[in-house]
Amino acid sequence: MFLSVGVRFEANVEALNMVETAGNYTKHRRVPYLVEEDGKLKTVYVPAISGESLAHAYQWSLVKEALGMNLPVCEDCAKGEFFKSMNKAHLKKKIDPIPDDSKKIEATIIKSCVIEDVGGFLYAEKPPVRRSSAFQVSYALPIKSMALFATAEPQLHARHAQMDAKGKKGNVSEQMIYYVETGTALYGFTFNLDLDAIGVSSLGAGPIVPEEEIRARREASLKALFRMLSSAQFGAKLSRFFPVGGITELTVVVTEHPFVVTSPIYDSYIERTKKRLEVIKEAFREEYFFDSTNEVPEEVLRKAIEYLKEKGYV
Amino acid sequence: MDFPEIVNMLRFFIRTGNFGYVDRIGNALTYEPVEMAILEALRAFRSIHESAKTDENYGKYIEKDGKKIYLPRIPSEEEIRTFLNAVRKDMSVAKRVATLALAFPSKGGEE
Ligand SMILES: [Zn+2]
Repeated sequence: MFLSVGVRFEANVEALNMVETAGNYTKHRRVPYLVEEDGKLKTVYVPAISGESLAHAYQWSLVKEALGMNLPVCEDCAKGEFFKSMNKAHLKKKIDPIPDDSKKIEATIIKSCVIEDVGGFLYAEKPPVRRSSAFQVSYALPIKSMALFATAEPQLHARHAQMDAKGKKGNVSEQMIYYVETGTALYGFTFNLDLDAIGVSSLGAGPIVPEEEIRARREASLKALFRMLSSAQFGAKLSRFFPVGGITELTVVVTEHPFVVTSPIYDSYIERTKKRLEVIKEAFREEYFFDSTNEVPEEVLRKAIEYLKEKGYV
Repeated sequence: MDFPEIVNMLRFFIRTGNFGYVDRIGNALTYEPVEMAILEALRAFRSIHESAKTDENYGKYIEKDGKKIYLPRIPSEEEIRTFLNAVRKDMSVAKRVATLALAFPSKGGEE
């Protein structure tokens, strides 16, 4: 089973993805975007949130769900440090001595950590072992029709410190001003989850953990997405720049084989997703789950999980 | 046409490990991304100038990994204008400036 989610969310004055600091200026991530204006294409720069940033939030959310369900999470991942068994030093925490059979290495990692099972890993030693992530996430980008209204604007802030005259030296002053570039946009992004990949070897060695645990791991992966979207705990600087806004639209599709919702950056994405699903249904005789809302996004996610439960998938 | 002040500014960013601007200028296929990269580079460079330390010879520098990296001057309005006009006419000018910035400076460089 394959789950694909299209999310639209409004975020005003957010600093969810900052890229660099130069002096006292912290910049929001921005990407070039092609938009059509009067029949002509032009490049505009719009605020963006990287897939890496969303993936981190998802995996952090998965850590909590997995631990809450008594599923294994390795020491590094439990701290939110996703090294993913990248070298001997990190893999040794899971198995010592390290076997030289890549299938054994893969099995050990999958057994000992749900995050690396779902989020993939790369052990870059001899023999190198790589596992693709079972989930995929796009950048969050302003929706096309409103891209020209998206902005990134610096906000001026000041930090004050009490300091007596003799404590002062050089450029240090009592007041420090700094700029944080904030973004404002209606964003869209896509999240996919390949439920069949969870708990199963990617090297052809079949299921690595018992069927019952695979189902629990799938459930944890779904709950993590639910929690991440519902709590809006993604991106940076939430402590002072928690975005004003929230999910405006959510579309969920569950299919037997990989199928990705039409990107929510297009205004017609819900209609187009439905039409595409109808064609798939006729051509392949495949059942699917589809739901979409602009009211209570949690409700759609709940129904999708219910559908998967009915199918005996979680 | 060389643009030494722009090249030196880009070279400064490269030495601080920031390849973003030089890559965007070197890889641009149309004018707009170059202008945007120059705008952002100048904005960042000005911020760095303001917070930089000054040594006894009035040279401005920042410290990275315990090493002093001196700041070149802020490119002049004149050079920026000439550069942008040249890029608008011929995109290869941007690639050339980026390539020069990535090269080791020949003489009187900032290395
Ligand atoms: Zn782990």
